Amino acid sequence: MSYKIPMGPYHPALEEPYKLDMFCEGETVCDAKLHIGFNFRGIEHLAETRNYIQVIALMERVCGICSNIHTLTLCQAMEQLTGLVPPPRALYIRVVMAELERLHSHVLWAGIAAKLMGFKTMFMTCFALREKVMDVLQAISGNRVNYSMNCIGGVNRDIADPQAVLAMVEQLEREMVRTIIPVFTTSTTARSRCAGIGILTHEKAVSCGVVGPTARASGISQDLRRSAPYAAYSDFEFAVPVETAGDVRARLLVRALEIMESCRILRQALNKMPPGEWQAGDKKVVFSTGTALSRVEAPRGEVVYSVSWKENSRNPSRVHVRTPTFQNMPAIRWMVMGARLADTPLIQASIDPCYSCTDR
Amino acid sequence: MTTIESIPERLQIAEQWVEERGVNWLATGALNVRQVAAMMNEVHARFVTITAIELPGGQGLRLDYHWDLDGQLLGFPFYISGNSIESIFDLCEAVDWIEREVHEGFAIDFAGREYEPLLLREGDKPGVNLHEVVQ
Repeated sequence: MSYKIPMGPYHPALEEPYKLDMFCEGETVCDAKLHIGFNFRGIEHLAETRNYIQVIALMERVCGICSNIHTLTLCQAMEQLTGLVPPPRALYIRVVMAELERLHSHVLWAGIAAKLMGFKTMFMTCFALREKVMDVLQAISGNRVNYSMNCIGGVNRDIADPQAVLAMVEQLEREMVRTIIPVFTTSTTARSRCAGIGILTHEKAVSCGVVGPTARASGISQDLRRSAPYAAYSDFEFAVPVETAGDVRARLLVRALEIMESCRILRQALNKMPPGEWQAGDKKVVFSTGTALSRVEAPRGEVVYSVSWKENSRNPSRVHVRTPTFQNMPAIRWMVMGARLADTPLIQASIDPCYSCTDR
Repeated sequence: MTTIESIPERLQIAEQWVEERGVNWLATGALNVRQVAAMMNEVHARFVTITAIELPGGQGLRLDYHWDLDGQLLGFPFYISGNSIESIFDLCEAVDWIEREVHEGFAIDFAGREYEPLLLREGDKPGVNLHEVVQ
C-alpha cells in the first residue's frame, strides 16, 4: 500500500522548519517533495533599505552558524565596488575566522548526525568540543555567534597574540584527533548507520549542481579556496578531501578530513600572520555604479553574493544571496528515493542543511 | 585557445569576453538563454545562479546567469522588457529552485515549465517580495 509520510515543518529530526513529504511503499521511500519558506524574512529586500554599515550587520543574521562567511562575502563584493583593498594582515585574520567557523560548523553537524544515529555520547562529546571552538572565536571577536569581524577594507579587530590563539587551536586539534575523527571514521555504529545510504551519484550531483562537502562526497573535486582563492588562501598548503561513494558515510568522512585540513590552515595562518594594519585606513567609502559578485567557500559550500549599487546612493539597489543549502537541498529528493523511511532523518541531515540561509 | 576563449566562436557571436570585477561577462546579443545553457552543458560548466535586477526608470529587468568553469565565473546578462523568458530547466536541472524564486520575487514567467510554490504560500502574488510594482 502506498502512503504519504510528512516530516516537518516542525519535527524532532529537523533543526529548523521545513517539510519533506515522502511517498512510501511499505518502509521504502519511492519519491519525496520538499517545501521551504517557513523562515522567509525578506532579508534581500530589507538590505535595499540599509546603508553600507547597517547592511553588514543585517547580512550577518542570514545564518546563525556561518554568520562570518556572509559578512566576508558581502564585504568582498562591496570592496570591489569601492576599490578599498584590505591589508595583508586583515586577509589572514579573515582566513582564521573562516576556518574556525568551518570547525565549529562541522563539529556541530557531527553532533547532530551522532544524535540522529542514536549515538548520544558522541553528540555530547561533539557539542562540548564545539563550545571550545566557540571559546576561541569569542577570545578573538568578543562574540560567540555573530562575530562582527568583517568591515569594508578589512576587519574590526586584530588578533593581537596569534601564538595564544595557536595554542588553543592545537589543543582543539588534539581533542578532535583523539575523539571525533576516529569515532566517525572507524566506529561500527557510524559505519552501520551511514554506509550505503542516501547515495547521491556523481552524475546526479553534477546535474543538480551541488556544492561543498555534498559535492566532494560524490566525487566532485571542487573548492573555491583552491579553484578561485580569496582572502589569503593562495598562501597556504592544504588538501581538498574527496570521496566517491556519495553516501552519508562519504559526506561524514569528507567533513572529518576537512576538520584536519582546517587545523592545518589555521596553524599556517597563525604562524605566518604578517605585521601591520588590519583596516584600509580612514579612506572615504565611495561606491561606484555597478554590480559586483563575490564567492566564498562556506562550511556547507559556495556562497554567492551579487551586490548592485548606484553612485551617491546610501543603500544598495540589490543584494542577492545564493546560499549552499539552496543549491544542495533539491538533491535530498534523489538521496531519499529508495531509502528506508527510518534512515531519512539522517539522510536529509547529511547535507548539513541550513533552512534560515535557504529562505533568507 | 582555452575553453573559455573558444566559447564566443562556438556560439558564433562577434562579442568577446569582458572581465569586470572578477567576472567574465559575455554580451549575448541575439542569443537566447537556451543556446547559452546548451553551450555551458557542452563545456561542462557548473551552473551557479541567476540574479534578477530591476532596471531604473521602468526599463524592465536584467537577468544575470552565472556558470563556473574551472574556477572562473562566467556571466551572461539577458535584458527582458516584458515579463517572460525561456526556461532552461529541461537543459539544466540545477536552475529549478532559482527559476522558481525569481518567478515568485519578480513575477517573471520562465516559459516552458510548470511551477510549484517555493517561498510563497497559497494565495500570495508573485512579485510581492522584490518587484517594485506588484503585477
